[in-house]
Amino acid sequence: MTMKLARFYAIGFTILVLFDTLVQLSFKYAGDHAFPPEANWAWIVRVFGHPWIYVAVIGYVGNFFTWMTLLKHAPIGPAFAVTHLEVVSVMLFSIWLFNEPLTWARVIGALAIVAGIVCLAFAESGAHPEHDAPTEAKGALGVAAGD
Amino acid sequence: MSPLVVALWLLNVTLDTVGQLAFKAAAGDPRAGDGVARWKYMLARPWIWIGVISYVAEFLVWIAFLSLVDLSEGVLLGSINIVVIMIAGRFLFKERLTPLRVTGMLLVTAGVCIVGVAGGG
Repeated sequence: MTMKLARFYAIGFTILVLFDTLVQLSFKYAGDHAFPPEANWAWIVRVFGHPWIYVAVIGYVGNFFTWMTLLKHAPIGPAFAVTHLEVVSVMLFSIWLFNEPLTWARVIGALAIVAGIVCLAFAESGAHPEHDAPTEAKGALGVAAGD
Repeated sequence: MSPLVVALWLLNVTLDTVGQLAFKAAAGDPRAGDGVARWKYMLARPWIWIGVISYVAEFLVWIAFLSLVDLSEGVLLGSINIVVIMIAGRFLFKERLTPLRVTGMLLVTAGVCIVGVAGGG
């Protein structure tokens, strides 16, 4: 891997994680503003009545294009790992912005999940050709894989 | 976690799985052809629409879920989607489960269990 390519990945994946994190933070803000959740139209109106839901949508679109640009070149294994490792950045922002406690259960749980994601990333690297985009690469709350 | 939180969590993982597999079924159909014809073919069949409806519903369910739990807890619990989709892919699309994949899935599941059991929600 050349230096230039390495920098392309580093910047690309950082942007991807930031978009993912922005989307989740916006979802949380949107949900908080619309609280309490109800299975009715009034709740949906409350959700869409605040700017946060639109920030989430913008983050979603940015995420999609970053993802598609990266997938053109990046091997699927690392791409898979990076897109799911946003749990770590979301946790850090949650502590800062929402004063959420960093409990032992969350730390140990997050470590196990991250270790699992790294295993799955290595498994993906072996299971798919370099430019293949498998279904499980990204969820709905990130962006759907496959074009 | 309250019954409502658990219900929203289960609904979220169900919708995510249905959505992903529906898109996979739509995109993976070898009869679809290429270019514009491929899109016409996909849009004329239910799979892509099932996927879209699932994702829209999931979007709302996820917001409701996150408004009831801490965000850090919510995203960790949401990691279970990876595991469920892989298991579903194994059954429906015969995707292989290598030892490394199984190890990864078990670790993610264990992490989610630790967070879920300890969480007050």
